[in-house]
Amino acid sequence: MDILSHLTPLFFGLIAAGTLVGIIFGAIPGMTATMAVAVCLPLTYAFGLENGVALLLGLYVGGISGGMVPAVLLNIPGTPSSITTTFDGYPMAQRGEGERALKTGIVASIFGGLFSAAVLFFFAPILADFAIKFSNVEKFLIILLALTVIASLCSNLLMGIFSGVLGVWLSLIGTYSIMDGGNGETRLMFDWMEYYLIDGFSLLPVLIGIFGLTTVLLDAEKSFKDEANQGRISLKNGKKFSFSVFKGQFLNLVRSSSIGTFVGMLPGVGGSAASVLAYSQEKNFSRDSSQMGKGAPQGIVSSESSNNALTGGALVPLLSLGIPGDSTTAILIGAFTLQGIQVGPLFIGNNMDTWYLIIIGLLVANLLMFAIMYLAIKPIAKVIEVPKYILYPLIIMMCVVGAYAINYGIMFDVWTLLLFGVFGWIAHKIGLETVPLIIGFILGKSAEIYFVKSLESYGNYSIFFTKSPIAMLLWALIAMSLAFAIYINIRNRRHASMQS
Amino acid sequence: MESHWLSLFDVSIDFGQSHLFFPRIVTWILVILLGVILLTRYRHVAPGIKQAGRALAGRGGEFDRKRFFGTIVLTTIYFYMMGVLSDVFPNTGYSFLICSIVFVLALSLLYIDHFSRRLLLIVVVNALIAPTLAWYVLAQLFRITLP
Repeated sequence: MDILSHLTPLFFGLIAAGTLVGIIFGAIPGMTATMAVAVCLPLTYAFGLENGVALLLGLYVGGISGGMVPAVLLNIPGTPSSITTTFDGYPMAQRGEGERALKTGIVASIFGGLFSAAVLFFFAPILADFAIKFSNVEKFLIILLALTVIASLCSNLLMGIFSGVLGVWLSLIGTYSIMDGGNGETRLMFDWMEYYLIDGFSLLPVLIGIFGLTTVLLDAEKSFKDEANQGRISLKNGKKFSFSVFKGQFLNLVRSSSIGTFVGMLPGVGGSAASVLAYSQEKNFSRDSSQMGKGAPQGIVSSESSNNALTGGALVPLLSLGIPGDSTTAILIGAFTLQGIQVGPLFIGNNMDTWYLIIIGLLVANLLMFAIMYLAIKPIAKVIEVPKYILYPLIIMMCVVGAYAINYGIMFDVWTLLLFGVFGWIAHKIGLETVPLIIGFILGKSAEIYFVKSLESYGNYSIFFTKSPIAMLLWALIAMSLAFAIYINIRNRRHASMQS
Repeated sequence: MESHWLSLFDVSIDFGQSHLFFPRIVTWILVILLGVILLTRYRHVAPGIKQAGRALAGRGGEFDRKRFFGTIVLTTIYFYMMGVLSDVFPNTGYSFLICSIVFVLALSLLYIDHFSRRLLLIVVVNALIAPTLAWYVLAQLFRITLP
């Protein structure tokens, strides 16, 4: 059993360290699990794949879970996925039940996390086995479907599609690689740029720039308004937590975890969508939802179980299809590439040990998250007071390490980080959607290879519609996601016009 | 009949120009989408650009120009100096260490609202310890390439 040789104290120590750092990142308003993974990525360069992944999984689970702390104590979601935790967490904290609210969220989080890990374990290999049979046509359509689904769930469909296509365009800058069947010529750049952009923009400096530096710039323009001290609630002398709060909540836990896992599987759909959907379902279907929004534990249960269920769900398309489920798994794809591993349908079959270690890592990260947060919630709650003038300079410094070390010391990667940090800020201001842009950037090159190879093989555009029943099914799904987006858009407009 | 109809969609890709085939399609989609966005959202676009211009010029909203542009300028200087110094101290990480200490200190000072002796001490200690620790752990212990 090779796998046992990887289960070293270092493996578990890195998960614990990752989980703790992730919780801290998640607990600081404005900082996310994605940022935690991006900033700590350089540390994985020194470890092998297994230990590196252990650290990143800890950061991912910890980052998502830590978001509940400011959501309950400050009424500010630490991560976007904790938005619905504020609805009931903060009113509970105002009543002196802050610790009870947090511990309810912690227990719900571990349920959601373990539930989604189980789904990942059983479902990802089946999906991967199915995807192995895909030809270039179906692979291209899967990418097209992923981009359409992401764009359709954006606040503005058109901007979502535009952002995704812009991401694809940016990914095409550089050489059309001979290794991928190309002719080795460069494109989409001026001659003087060839020295720098011969291989295009590296993925990780782009991600670190957009998720790290952009966040700092967005906060800098707002003068770092000290959110941490506004309406902060102490955990002292509150009503104690008891497991009886989960009486009658099993259905809520299972339903919310299922929703979180499913939403996680949809490429690019964030945790906020998962928690909002689970919360609204609980409100619609529970026997008594009259107290929801006024400090009902059932609201925290639905919110926290669903957002933690996202972690395993988002890993399903990543490990079985090579398509990231959310922005954090987009960075994980970079970490895998860095270690020489290509994620996709063949990943699980060819890397069984790594696959089992990922599952073990995810389980352990959830258990450690529970242990750390449950036992040390009071000191963790103090993290939200760390001032930004200490944190942000260090974050930029760590971003530099990540960008520079990715290709073993290329200064242009550091400039890429700055370029995309500023670009991310501009994108935010003009309403571009970051997630479709990033997913488009990651999948753009693969989309080109599958598209061109399909046409080289069949010589006719109609092949994308007629190749197989799967291709037709994928077109039906693409049409459905667009129709859904248009329907939601029209409904929202009607709502807005009725309200005005 | 059917095959004649399908032949309308025939395509052959010239290998010498194949690097431009997909990018051209994507560029055209991008241009068309941009056109549609400008046509359908022109009511939002023009005021948005105007508002952004006012904010950047410091004539509107709560835009902290000092901290925003200060961050960009300091980061640019930080990156530039790191490149310059890495030629002086190649493969040691000293360039990263020296520039990071100065950068962390300068950026922290830029972000502080009200100065006090205690705060200044915290910032200076943080600027000395954190980059040194990062340099030691990453460059010395883990042998990660640093500028």
